Amino acid sequence: MSRLVTKLPPLTLSNPIMSASGTFGHGLEMGAIVPPERLGALVSKTVTLEPRPGNPMPRVWETEAGFLNSIGLENRGLEAYMEDVLPTVAAAARAGTAIVTNIGGHTPQEFVQLAQALGERPEIAALEVNLSCPNVQGGKLPFATDPAAARDILAALANVTDKPLWAKLSPNVARIDEMALAVEEGGAAAITACNTLLGMAVDWRTRRPRLALVRGGYSGLGVRPVALRCAYDCARAVSIPVIGCGGISSAEHVLEFIVAGCTAVQVGSASFSDPGLLGRLAAEVEDLLEREDCPDLAELCGSLTEGAPCA
Amino acid sequence: MPATDTRPRAARVVAIRPCEDASGAASDEGGFILRLRPEGDPAWIASLEPGRFFMVRRQDGASPAIPRPFSLYRVAGDCLEFMVQSLGAGTQALAACREDTPLLLTGPAGSGWPEFSVGSEPWVFLAGGIGSAPFLMALERALPPHAAASPRAPGPWLIYGAASAARLYERRAFADTGAPVLCATDDGSHGFHGNVLELLALEQEAGRIPARVRLAACGPQPMLRAVAALAEKEQLPCWLSLETYMGCGVGICNGCAVPTRPGGALGDWPWAKCCVDGPVFDSTAIVV
Repeated sequence: MSRLVTKLPPLTLSNPIMSASGTFGHGLEMGAIVPPERLGALVSKTVTLEPRPGNPMPRVWETEAGFLNSIGLENRGLEAYMEDVLPTVAAAARAGTAIVTNIGGHTPQEFVQLAQALGERPEIAALEVNLSCPNVQGGKLPFATDPAAARDILAALANVTDKPLWAKLSPNVARIDEMALAVEEGGAAAITACNTLLGMAVDWRTRRPRLALVRGGYSGLGVRPVALRCAYDCARAVSIPVIGCGGISSAEHVLEFIVAGCTAVQVGSASFSDPGLLGRLAAEVEDLLEREDCPDLAELCGSLTEGAPCA
Repeated sequence: MPATDTRPRAARVVAIRPCEDASGAASDEGGFILRLRPEGDPAWIASLEPGRFFMVRRQDGASPAIPRPFSLYRVAGDCLEFMVQSLGAGTQALAACREDTPLLLTGPAGSGWPEFSVGSEPWVFLAGGIGSAPFLMALERALPPHAAASPRAPGPWLIYGAASAARLYERRAFADTGAPVLCATDDGSHGFHGNVLELLALEQEAGRIPARVRLAACGPQPMLRAVAALAEKEQLPCWLSLETYMGCGVGICNGCAVPTRPGGALGDWPWAKCCVDGPVFDSTAIVV
């Protein structure tokens, strides 16, 4: 799979396919269904400093073209992650799958404490900084939308850890390119674009929301054009790599994001529709490149030619 | 974490037919039996445990993206059968399947019923509506071997409730297991006029079912809540098979959370995952 080798400095991944945070468990939960070595990187569900029970039920709702969730970062906290999960992923890390821990917090200090603790762990290849969960305080945490606040978090984290920092951005902003520039300035090694769109669904007959907390993160096929635009805007703005995320469920989709400027991609709610997808996707991308006579991903990356659409 | 034998597999529809009503005629209430054949070596099918479930979705683009969970109803050779009530977009798409429609089948998922042979108190199975689906194989499993040929230990009983006779799906198939099947309908159109717990109480008062039994129940949430309350009051061992909206069925979306009971077997965390910790729970471990 040499044509899939993906450089996300300082990391080199075997392929550009990753799990999106929150859609694949914390560690090797899916190991019997998706061999972890098939993934370039395994991105954990968000880890917070303290245990978080998450949001009340109902938490998920499917719509015509996508999927709403309001899980609320349910997780057992940093200590349990370090004791129970990290030792189990060590073998996957040794086999070449990059283990990426997604971290979330309410304050810069919480992020710093997480990075300090996790930065000591050799199993972890990179930290993905969740600046953008829409299900915590309604997505209104300042660093989700304020470039200066996002930059300061990245800068504070870069001060306390040598791990590469990936900044996961929200699409729920007017100018995602400004957020991208800010996190690059703060010291991000890569950008994940993007998190879920803030959405909601209602049952008008019962006058009730479909999600207990009304609003949720919208993902799935319907968001792909938005996510592609976000990734494109980020890739055009910064010189660090961009990891595309949003509505990707096939090799064709992967290459759309690569052409738009992404170096790698994350697959999220498509794993809910087809739990085995992530185990096949890298091979399907390789087959597609072979069929289309494309030498490798690096050549495709950012090759989108602007102007009139092809006839 | 999904069970170690949970796998996504391609499958094809072999046959689809309406459920029988209480009299054996085709019901027109939207219940149907979907028979499908998984592709590949069928060796794994023979050891399927009752009470486990599968996520099922059409692969021809006619289903919503998220598969729907269904308890296994019956194994027939190298085929699986599911009893489904047509309700929303997912089940309606399955109801419109034809022979050979391609499906994605992920399972067997979750825990099944407890081991029926352990313990001495007889079993009473309580089914509400389409919640009867996981009890056919359970009856076959819980019946002592050679039941017909020898005087057998009492139970299991199936107490089967539904809105009406038309919704007492596949009643005859349950009776054909040889187990006593006692029916209750909300409208009195078949069997006892009332609900399954009223019928259980009546049978116990009449001495036809002992007071000390073990309960296994599947049905609408108000019914399960009442069953759990009875089990707690009478200190009866009780297992409940829950139905929730599921996002993935394999433990990765945290969408099917069930509140746990503080101090119970799952009380170290406020939520259990219905798909991997259940769908069958000891009633003392959760809050229904």
